Amino acid sequence: MKVEFTLNGAAQRVEVPPHWTLLRMLRDAAGRTDAKHGCGEGVCGACAVLVDGVAVNSCSVLAPQVAGASVETVGGLTEGDKLHPLQAAMVSRGAVQCGFCTPGMVLSALEAVRIGAAGDDAEIRHNLAGNLCRCTGYGKIVAAVAEYRDGRAPEDFPAEAGEHEHRPEGGGSAASPGVGVGH
Amino acid sequence: MFPRPFDYVCPESVPDALGALASDGGEARALAGGQSLVPMMSLGLAAPERLVDIGRLPLAGAERSGATVRLGALTRHRELERSAELAGMAPLAAEAARFIGNPRVRNRGTLGGSLSHADPASELGTVVLAYGGRAIVTGTGGERAVAFDDFFHGFFATAVGEGELLTAVELDVPGDGSGHGFHEVAGRADDFAIAAASAVVTLDASGASCAEARLALAGVDDRPRRIAAGEELCRGAVLDGPLLERVAAAVADAVSPETDAFISASYRKRVAGACAARALGAAWERAGGGAR
Amino acid sequence: MSGVEVKAGGRVIGAGIARHDAIEKVQGRTSYAADHALPRMLHAMLKRSDYAHARLVSVDTSAAEAIEGVVAVYTAADVPQNTVWVDVPGQTLEVGALKARSNVLADEVVRYHGEPVALVAAETEDAALAARDAIVIDYEPLPVVDDPEHALDADAPQVHESGNLLAEWELEEGDVEAGFASASAIVAEEYRTQFIDHAYLEPEAGVAWRDTDGVITIRAATQVVEHFRDVARILELPDNKVRLITPYVGGGFGGKEDMTVEPYLGIVAALTGRPVRMVWSRQESLTARQNRHAVRMRYRTGADAEGRLVAMDIDILSDGGAYALLSALVLLYSTTCAAGPYRCPNVKIRARTVYTNHTPCSAMRGFGGMQVVLGYEGQMDRLARELGIDALEIRRRNFVERGDTLPIGQELETVVELPALIDAVSERAGEPPQPDGPRRAVGRGYACNLQSYGRCIWLNDWSSAWVGFELDGTLVIRIAVPDIGGGQASSLIQIASEVLGVPPQRITIHIGDSALNPLTGTTTATRQLYMSGNAVLKAARELRAALAGVAAGLLEVDAERVEFGPGGVGEGGGRTLPFEELLAAAASVDVPWHVLATHHAPKGVPWQADESWRGRVFPDFTYGCHAVDVEVDLDTGQVRLLRYIAGHDVGQAINPTSVEGQIEGAVAMGLGYALSERVVFEEGQNLTATFAQYLIPTAVEMPAIESVVLESGEGMGPFNARGIGEPPIGPPAPAVAAAIHDACGIELTELPFTPERVVGALRGGEAGDGPG
Repeated sequence: MKVEFTLNGAAQRVEVPPHWTLLRMLRDAAGRTDAKHGCGEGVCGACAVLVDGVAVNSCSVLAPQVAGASVETVGGLTEGDKLHPLQAAMVSRGAVQCGFCTPGMVLSALEAVRIGAAGDDAEIRHNLAGNLCRCTGYGKIVAAVAEYRDGRAPEDFPAEAGEHEHRPEGGGSAASPGVGVGH
Repeated sequence: MFPRPFDYVCPESVPDALGALASDGGEARALAGGQSLVPMMSLGLAAPERLVDIGRLPLAGAERSGATVRLGALTRHRELERSAELAGMAPLAAEAARFIGNPRVRNRGTLGGSLSHADPASELGTVVLAYGGRAIVTGTGGERAVAFDDFFHGFFATAVGEGELLTAVELDVPGDGSGHGFHEVAGRADDFAIAAASAVVTLDASGASCAEARLALAGVDDRPRRIAAGEELCRGAVLDGPLLERVAAAVADAVSPETDAFISASYRKRVAGACAARALGAAWERAGGGAR
Repeated sequence: MSGVEVKAGGRVIGAGIARHDAIEKVQGRTSYAADHALPRMLHAMLKRSDYAHARLVSVDTSAAEAIEGVVAVYTAADVPQNTVWVDVPGQTLEVGALKARSNVLADEVVRYHGEPVALVAAETEDAALAARDAIVIDYEPLPVVDDPEHALDADAPQVHESGNLLAEWELEEGDVEAGFASASAIVAEEYRTQFIDHAYLEPEAGVAWRDTDGVITIRAATQVVEHFRDVARILELPDNKVRLITPYVGGGFGGKEDMTVEPYLGIVAALTGRPVRMVWSRQESLTARQNRHAVRMRYRTGADAEGRLVAMDIDILSDGGAYALLSALVLLYSTTCAAGPYRCPNVKIRARTVYTNHTPCSAMRGFGGMQVVLGYEGQMDRLARELGIDALEIRRRNFVERGDTLPIGQELETVVELPALIDAVSERAGEPPQPDGPRRAVGRGYACNLQSYGRCIWLNDWSSAWVGFELDGTLVIRIAVPDIGGGQASSLIQIASEVLGVPPQRITIHIGDSALNPLTGTTTATRQLYMSGNAVLKAARELRAALAGVAAGLLEVDAERVEFGPGGVGEGGGRTLPFEELLAAAASVDVPWHVLATHHAPKGVPWQADESWRGRVFPDFTYGCHAVDVEVDLDTGQVRLLRYIAGHDVGQAINPTSVEGQIEGAVAMGLGYALSERVVFEEGQNLTATFAQYLIPTAVEMPAIESVVLESGEGMGPFNARGIGEPPIGPPAPAVAAAIHDACGIELTELPFTPERVVGALRGGEAGDGPG
């Protein structure tokens, strides 16, 4: 069947069988691999995308269910040649390690901040439950989300790796021997 | 991995949906938010031949009429959790909804879908039982109301018959002099409940003791269920620490979970008692019990 | 000469700079293994065993082959060389075969639930799935070996004809019985750890194609590009006809150290000549990929009245699962670390690992050095209580120091900063926590550990790296390192930048390709910063020396005075020379712009197979001290983590943000192990095959994790760094056990410390009617 929807602002008309999930349609029919297949059970959140602004697990939504909807993936957040401030906060805080959970984590966190569900660290953590991360222990992710919520995230972080200063403010430093402390 | 092929229809009216569910051509399943059904299909645990997507039916909305709150079957968990209007109408539902799955599951999952799925650990199952009220079930012959006490029939089984849809939920929400409580113990934030309890306490005219308590548990039997033994101990009583300890023991005795490879029956019983006591204690406090 | 900036002292080492790969990842641009697609690509899937132990009476693939779009269905007979021997991935070794034999596809007998039986390749994923579903296997069930305690019984069913004992290590130092006879206090306890899944977010995946000159090229998520050799053996091709590329990997933790999709991709690409993709589902990954070993440890420990250790008797039995993989080496790590970072003159250790019909066990972060921390730290806490000595004080009285020798015979060459770590962590911890309501108890626990970095020395480990300039002054690093998320690549950029002055954003690193980049060994064993870091450092320094010599002539100064800056070279305040001119000058005198350098790990005494063997096992160790505050719900047994502090001596932090990231991530993994994670089998059937059942921690369960990073300036890595990838995973479980004891006086010995086990212990250790 044909599914028409908007993907990161561009109209799409894709031919997929109805049993394909939104995740499969994005990855294998629309060519967008920035939603990740992590579990297929709606538990890990790696496949999260926004549908009409609402975060969903794209592995648990069928392709025809988004007919007529607006779908956003993490790749659609970059504004011109700058990272979205939440993306910039994630990078500069060291909240990205293997990066596989990152697209879903960013979109879930973005939704949480937008709807006012990131008031303090406990609420951020509550709203990121179900975005599993196996690398970071979550602390740096929570810090990055709080930084973005408070308007403290970098606004002009270049989207290309070769163009930035590599020296974000407060990025942790323990250059001399001795005891350094961070969290 | 991912769902196997099926036929798909997306009706725009309830009669069309009922027609699609009833028509010949193999096993048909209604698809609402899909947060249980789609993962089950991906895991190979469900393989319907036809899916009737009811997600575009006009079954949303909430209204209050006296003590009755009527919620459309497609009300999403996230609306229950986050809408101030809905939280005002049915605060127990708002509190319990926080514990369902994860935020994205709650963004898609629906009240009607969850109740129809009838997971034994369903948080919302305890909510509708604790409030009391009726499931509005629609078939080709029209609507019928099923009291929630008669709604859950067993493991993933309900009063909704073949070719029928749960279209709305009516909750009897008590007013002043009452309070609600919810408590859940799970292995992880977004995990299924080991046990969960909903309680609604209504004080007597003096405000000094409990006139009526409704208590429902999930996760400890083949379906969400009320625990009469716990409710009876509360009737006419002051819900203080010693009374709640007795309730916990009575609830533990009254439920009959099974031991599985992860959790023993005896532990589930203990947790059921603790959840019941805490839900009742919170409800008592919210009702203003003992304040006067 | 504008645009040339030369200034000294802008240290890149020790700066928490943003990782280049993170900028790509946060936009979803990184092409992971499953993101790659090729024209006319086939889709491959595995049919796996439903039984834990059974004879394959027949495997009927005819219905599967008849499905439209199915190109091939392979069974064991179709695999050119179906039996693989992979003792130590990616390395030569002196120890001889460790019996690590397994089959690509099951042949005659399946030995674990999920063992691959048949391989399907089809034009679409839907056709491949339908074909997999259509394969009919007739099994004759065999008795299941699922209890390692009874696997060695005379009448136990045999998993392999060679018997169920997979490997054994034994050692005795001093006179253990005399030691115990002199003890003022003796404590004995049995500890049990569970099977653990790596549970990285990226399931196993890859693509393969037949490239020019018949080279089978595999692009897959792996920690070991050297597996190209193992695939070559399977395909009966020369080693140089298989190429393995690894893109950025979505987490490894040891789970992508053994091969996963590589052989199957190679088979389909070689036999069909078509490109192919294989992506495992989460459920396949949880069911059938190797686990961390479940271990039973019996510790008997004696101390004198002042708490000084006088004797240890340790018996370790681990469940190796159905095939050997790396079990023997994992057990060696356990043996080496079993006594902990403590001096003890009389130590006896017996360690065995056995075959069962469980999923094969193999490498996972901590690699055998991890499970034993629960044992040796539990014993220190028990001795402290028995003798009435403070738990930290008894540790101080026993810590090893530089120059001491571990029971296995390895002398410690670098400083052991455990006393300073205890001071820093306990000072940071401050006042103890307060309970948050009735029926709650709070407590604090500490645990210390040692964990090696670098592989066993008789693997003759080496790493090679190529560092070279481009004419525009940008720098290129070529190195086959797999980056599994720990910042393996970006740290190498920092090292090269430090030496050659080129800013990190003007350095490009080409990683993970066995054909085009120098081999640098596995991303395992906390060895990449240590080994590849040293290789890049060596290459960069040699390149700097060569070019400084050229520059010295042009600038008319001593070579030592030539400084390297972002745009070129110069001499403090004097003339500067852009790289373009320097490189042209270098070319004119036949000085190349690049260097290929190799770093070799230290050697020890040669391996001997007899029991008297003693000596160095590892290059060096990293030490840590952790503290945790917990709150225990006395009614439900739930343990809430209030606060976590993790201190490690890292020698020198190359990137402090990455160091913290390694510490925080390893602690979180260790806390999941402590409280919620377990792979559960029932008669060999895996019951935790979904992410809804295998419970890794979410953001809600994790506390704020605070890193205390101590830099002693001593370590064997570049700039005296120590490895930090694995070490922080050991202390969380014993620290939590100690904190729970502090809170409510119960002694837990079996992981994970589930609420049910806590309640059971609170009620006097009465056994529940279930598994706990």
